[in-house]
Amino acid sequence: MAIAIGLTIVFGMLRLVNFAHGAFYAIGAYVGLVIVKQLGLPLPVGLIVAPLAVAAFAVLLDRVVLVRFYDKDPTAQILVTFGIALVVEETLRLIFGGTTQTYPLPAALSGSLNLGFTTYPTYRIVFAAGIVLLVVAVWLFIQRTDFGLVVRAGIRDRTMVQLLGGNVRLASTVIFALGAGLAGLVGAGASPIYSVDPNTGFSFLVPSFVVVVIGGLGSFWGAVLGGLLVGELQSVTTIVQPAASDVIIYVAMALVLLVRPSGLLGESEVIRG
Amino acid sequence: MMRDLRFYLLVALGLVAFPFALHLIKGYPGLATQILIVGIAAVGFNLLLGYAGLLSYGQAMFYGVGSYVSLLTVSRFFPAHPNFWLALILAVALVTVMASLIGALTVRLYGIYFALLTLAFAQMFFFIVFQWRDLTHGDDGLQGITAPPLPLGFTSIDLTTALPAANLGPLGNLADIHYWYVFAAIVLLLVLVFVRTLTTSQFGEVLRAIRENEERSTFVGFDPARYKLAAFVIAGALTGLSGALKGLYETSTSVETLNIETSGSFVIYTVLGGVHTLLGPLVGTGLVMYLQNVISGVTDSWRLIEGLVFVAIVIFLPGGLLGPLRDRSAARRRLAATVRTAPPSPTAPTASTGGAP
Repeated sequence: MAIAIGLTIVFGMLRLVNFAHGAFYAIGAYVGLVIVKQLGLPLPVGLIVAPLAVAAFAVLLDRVVLVRFYDKDPTAQILVTFGIALVVEETLRLIFGGTTQTYPLPAALSGSLNLGFTTYPTYRIVFAAGIVLLVVAVWLFIQRTDFGLVVRAGIRDRTMVQLLGGNVRLASTVIFALGAGLAGLVGAGASPIYSVDPNTGFSFLVPSFVVVVIGGLGSFWGAVLGGLLVGELQSVTTIVQPAASDVIIYVAMALVLLVRPSGLLGESEVIRG
Repeated sequence: MMRDLRFYLLVALGLVAFPFALHLIKGYPGLATQILIVGIAAVGFNLLLGYAGLLSYGQAMFYGVGSYVSLLTVSRFFPAHPNFWLALILAVALVTVMASLIGALTVRLYGIYFALLTLAFAQMFFFIVFQWRDLTHGDDGLQGITAPPLPLGFTSIDLTTALPAANLGPLGNLADIHYWYVFAAIVLLLVLVFVRTLTTSQFGEVLRAIRENEERSTFVGFDPARYKLAAFVIAGALTGLSGALKGLYETSTSVETLNIETSGSFVIYTVLGGVHTLLGPLVGTGLVMYLQNVISGVTDSWRLIEGLVFVAIVIFLPGGLLGPLRDRSAARRRLAATVRTAPPSPTAPTASTGGAP
C-alpha cells in the first residue's frame, strides 16, 4: 500500500507514469540487505539509509533523464521508466546474483504478539503501524506545509506558480524523490518478511498499479482505500476459491477501469492521462 | 505499384540472404526461423503502437494463447487427424475473437489507462492458463508435441526436413536451413505485404490522424474507436499467428509465453527497431534475439546492455534505429514533390507580399 502511495503521489503530483517505481522498492530492499546482512548493522540503520540512498538515486534520475519526459505523452514516459526498471533489475542481478535472499529480523521483533483475539508476528504489526504513521506524515507534508502548497499549485498552473516565485522544478524533484524514498523504505522494511530477488521490482510494481488504478490514479486516499480493498479481496478469495485469488485482483482492476477509469476516488479530469 | 514490387523483391532477397548472413556472425541454425516467427508479432504490434499510438502491455496473452491453441489442436482436440493448417487457423481464429472482445473494452481508454487495462487482461489470462492444469499442465507447459507435416494439396512437407546439402563455404551449408525457415519467411512476407497495404491505404492514414490528433479526426467524420479496434484485432491476430507458429516450431510452449516480460519484449523489439516503420520491428527483433543468444554466451550482462540500449534509444532516438532512415527518405520524397509541384518562382513572392498590408 505504501508503495502504491509513492506511485500515486508521483503520478498525481507530477503527472508522471512511473514504471520504474518497483525498481526503487528493489533498490531499497538490497540496500537494507547489504547493511543488515553484509555489514552486520541493526535493521533501523538500514531503514534510514535505504530510503535516503533510493531518494538520492531518484534525484539523479530525475535531473538527468526524466526532466526530458515531463512534457511528453504518457507512452514515452512508460517506455523510458520501463527501460530504467530493466537496467536497475539487471544491475542488481549482476551485483547480487539471481538468487532469492532475505535477512534476519532483530530478535526483539521476531516473536509473536498476543492480541487477545489472535496472535500475529510482532514485526508485521510494527511494520503495519509504521506504514500508517508514514501515510499520515506524507499526507500532512503535502497538505499542510508551504512546500506542499507549491507542489499542489504547480499541478494546477505551473507558469503562474513560477511567476509568483515558487520553484516548481525543485518541488517536482523533491516529490519524485519522496515517492522513491517511500518505496525504498518499504523495500528495506518488507524484505525480512518477503525476501528479495532481482525480479522483486516488477513483481511488486504490477500489484501496486492494481492498487493505484482501483483507488484512482493520483488520489492519495484512493491509494489507501485501494490497498485495503485489494488486500481484503485477495484474502477473502483465498478462503473461498484459492485458485482464483491471483486472478481476482486483475478482474477487479479491469472492472474499475471499464466502469470508472479514474478509479474509485480519482478526479475524472485525469482520464485522458 | 512498381515501387511496391521493388520493395517486396528487396525484402524477399533480404529474407533469402538472412540465414547465411546470420551464419557468418555465428548465429546458430534455427535462430533465423525463431526471429522471423517472433518478428510477425512485432510487425503486428507496431500497427498498434507505431500507427495507432496505442501502447498495449498485454500482447503476450495473444502470443501465449496462440501457442497453446495450436499445440492443443494437434495433441488434444484432433489427435486422430492432426492438421497443420487447422492448428494455425484455430489458433488465429480464437485469438481474433479474444482480441475483438478485449479490444471492444479497451480501445476507448487512453495512454496509461489503456496500457494498464491490457496488462490486467494479460495477467488474467496468465493465471487462467497457469491454473487450468487439465488442459495446460500448469507450469510444466506443453512439451514434445510434434507438428504434423504441412499439407500443400498435391503433397505435404515435413517442415523439419533440411534443404538439400550444398557446401557454401563461409556461408555454411544449405542443409543447415530447414523448410521451417522457408515457410516462416513466406508467411512473414505475406504479413508484410498485408500490413504495408493496410498502412499505405486510407485505413493507415486515418490511424495516423487519430494518433496525431484524435479530436480532429473525429470532427472530420471518422470514428476513432472503430479504427483503433480494427488495429487492435489485427495486431492481436498477427501476434496469435506468431505464437501458433512458435508452438508448432518449438514443439513446446509454457506459461512464460504469457507473462509481462514477453509483453515487454514486444515493446522493446518494436521501439528499438523503430516505431512508424514497417521493417523496424523486424530489425529490432533480429538484433535483440541475436544479441540475446550470442552475447549471452560471452557475458551474462547482455540484458543490462539491452536495457541501456533501450533507454538510450527512447531518449535520443525516439524513432528507433530505422527512424533516421525513414526521416531521410521522407525528406527526399518531400523535396522531390516540392520540386515537381513548385510554382514558377516569380509568383511565390507576389503571393506572400500580396497579403501584407
